[in-house]
Amino acid sequence: MPDGSGYMQPYLDQALDNASSLTGAGVDWIDALRRAGADAYGAHGLPHRADEYWRYTSLNALANEDFQLTSDAPAIGLPSLPHKLVSELSTYRVVVVNGRLRPDLCALGGLPDDVLISGLEHLMAAAPERLEPYLGKIVRLQDMPMAALNTAFLRDGLAMFIGAGVALDKPVHLISITAPGDGRMMVQPRHLVVMGKNAEATLIETHITAEGGSSFNNIVSELHLDDDAKLNHFVFQEESKTSVHLSGSAVSMGARTTYDSFVLQSGGAIGRSEIRAYMNGRGGDCRLDGVYLATDKQIVDNTTFVDHVAPECRSRQVYKGVLDGEARGVFQGKVHVLRDAQKTDGHQLSRALLLSPRAEIDARPELEIYADDVKCSHGATAGELDDDLLFYLLSRGIGRDDARRMLIEAFLSEAIEEIPHEQVAEDFTTHVRQWLARNVDAARKEM
Amino acid sequence: MALLEIKNLHATVDDKPILNGLDLTIGGGEVHAIMGPNGSGKSTLSYVLSGRDGYEVTEGEVLFDGKDLLEMEADERAREGVFLAFQYPVEIPGVTGITFLRTAVNAVREHKGESPFDAMDFVKFIRDKASGLNVSDDMLKRAVNAGFSGGEKKRMEILQMAALDPKLAILDETDSGLDIDALKVVADGVNAMRSEERGLLVITHYQRLLDYIVPDHVHVLAKGRIVKSGGKELAHELEKSGYAEFLEDAA
Repeated sequence: MPDGSGYMQPYLDQALDNASSLTGAGVDWIDALRRAGADAYGAHGLPHRADEYWRYTSLNALANEDFQLTSDAPAIGLPSLPHKLVSELSTYRVVVVNGRLRPDLCALGGLPDDVLISGLEHLMAAAPERLEPYLGKIVRLQDMPMAALNTAFLRDGLAMFIGAGVALDKPVHLISITAPGDGRMMVQPRHLVVMGKNAEATLIETHITAEGGSSFNNIVSELHLDDDAKLNHFVFQEESKTSVHLSGSAVSMGARTTYDSFVLQSGGAIGRSEIRAYMNGRGGDCRLDGVYLATDKQIVDNTTFVDHVAPECRSRQVYKGVLDGEARGVFQGKVHVLRDAQKTDGHQLSRALLLSPRAEIDARPELEIYADDVKCSHGATAGELDDDLLFYLLSRGIGRDDARRMLIEAFLSEAIEEIPHEQVAEDFTTHVRQWLARNVDAARKEM
Repeated sequence: MALLEIKNLHATVDDKPILNGLDLTIGGGEVHAIMGPNGSGKSTLSYVLSGRDGYEVTEGEVLFDGKDLLEMEADERAREGVFLAFQYPVEIPGVTGITFLRTAVNAVREHKGESPFDAMDFVKFIRDKASGLNVSDDMLKRAVNAGFSGGEKKRMEILQMAALDPKLAILDETDSGLDIDALKVVADGVNAMRSEERGLLVITHYQRLLDYIVPDHVHVLAKGRIVKSGGKELAHELEKSGYAEFLEDAA
C-alpha cells in the first residue's frame, strides 16, 4: 500500500457517499468516469514524497485536518477584485463559488454564435453528449492523483466551447471564489475548455478566498485545442494564506495550435499549479510562464510536463519567483520528447530570488529526449539580490528598501513583460509592487 | 570647516589591511587628485567613503561637513551629498534610466526638504542636464547602462552627478576605457560642475585625465597612505618618473 493510503479514505468515502445523488448519475459514461476517478485515487491515495511530481510538496496538512466537501455556494456577492484593470475590462464573466456556478453573478450577454459558455453541471443534465468527447479524456488520472480525486467528485465548474473559426471578441473572466465559512471546507471545481479548429480566445482566471476558515480547493481544468486554435490563459492565484490551492491542468494541443499560459501565484499556505501539455499535432507552440511571490511559511509549487509527441513543436517555460521568510518554492518541469518529435524546440528556465536565509527553492528542470534532431535546453538559478546592483542604487541615495524593491520588480518584470495582454501585464505588475511594499520593509520586519 | 576631513584612516577588506593611516582634507571648491600604482588602495578609498559593505574601517575618522560620515549608511551618505562615479558602472536590467534617475533625484530632494519631481517635470529637468552630455532620450528610456559603450556609461555617470548635485564627487578611474573624444566630453561635464561649494576627488592611475580636469592638489597614494602631496605639476613628474620610488620608500 502506498504511504498516503491511510490518508485517502475520509475523502474517498465522501466521494462515494455523494456520487449516486449527483447530476449525471445514471449516464453510463459519467458514472464510469466518477468511478474511474475514485478507483485511481483509491489505488494511489493522497500524493506523497515518493511520487515523482510531489517530491517537494507535502499534503500532510490535508490528511491531518478534516476537510468536508461542500456543495453549497453561499449567497455572497461579487467581491471587489485585487486587480483593477482586468476588473474594468469588458469580459464574459463566469463566477464559481465553492466549485458551483453562480449564474446570478455571471455576465454572458451577447455571446457570438457558436460559442457556448455554461456551467458544467448544467450541461451534464442538458447536453451530456457535448461533454462526452472531452470530459475526462484529456487528464490522465494515473499521473495526477489529485485530479483523480476531483474526478470522483465531478460536478460543476466552467464549460466553454468556442466554435471553429471563432475569434472571441472579449476575454472570458473566470472568477473562482472559495468561501469556507467557519469550518474546514473542500471544493472540487472542474473546468472544461474546448477550442474548435482555428478558434481564438483569452481566458483570465482569478482565484480568491472570501473571509472565513480554511479551505482546500482542488481544481482540475481540461483544455482541448483543435488544429490552429489559439488560447491565451492568464491566472491570478491569490487565495488566503490559510488555504490549500491545488490546480491541475491538462492541455491537448492539435497541429499549429498556440497555448500561452501565465500563472501568477502569491496565495495559499500551499499553492500549486500543475500543467501538463500534450503536443499531439505538428507545429504547436506552447508557452508556460509564471511568477510567484511567497513569504512566511508558504509553499508555492509550479510543476509542468510538456509532452512533445508530434514533430516541429516549440515549448518555452520561464518561471521566476521571490521567496522571503521561511517560504519554499518548487519548480519541477519536464520536457519529454518522444521519438517521432523531431525538430522539437524546447526550453525551460527557473529563476528564484531568495530574500531570506531561511527561504528555499527546490528546482528540478528535466529533459527526457528520445528524438535525435532536437534543440532543447534547461536551466535553474537561485540566489540573493546582486550586491553590486544594490550598492549602485544605494550610492545614488535610493533607500535600501526602495532599492531592493526596484531590483526585485525588475527581476520579475522581465517575465511579466512577455505577457501578450496589456491590462493583465499591468495588473500583475501592480500586484507585484503591492506585495513588495508589504513585504520588503526592513523597519516593519524588526518590529 | 573643511568639506571632507579624513584622519588616520585604516581599512581592511576580508581582514586584509588596505588603507594604513590615510590623511586628507578637501575644502569646498577644491579639486584633489589621488594618483597611485595598482593595489595602492585608490578604489578602496572610494568605496570606504561611499559606504560599500565589506570595507571595514578599523581606525580613524572621516568628517563630512562636520558630520561623522562613517556612521552613515551608503544611501544616507549619497543623500547628504557624497557621489561616487564608478570605474565600472553596472547594468541594471529591467530598470529604465529615467525611473532610476527620478527615484534617486527625488530621494535626495526629499532629504533636502524639497518637493519631489513629478514625471513630467522630471523629464524637462533631466533633458536639460542630458543634452550637454550627449545623453539621448533613447539612452534614458533603456534599462540603466544596458548595452551601453564604455563612453556612454561614463557619460551616464556624469549625468547622474549633475542631476544629484552633490557636495563631494569622487571620480574613480573615470578615464578608464575612454578614447580621447569621449574623455573630453566627460571632462567638460565635470568641469561644468566645478563650483565654490563643491569638492572633487579625482582618482586616477594616469596623468592624462588631469590635463582635462586640472587639479588644485595632487597626492600620491602608496600602500594605503598618502606619501607625497603637491600641486598639479606633481602629476607631470609622476608621468615621467613612475611610481617605483614610492613603492620602495613605503616598503
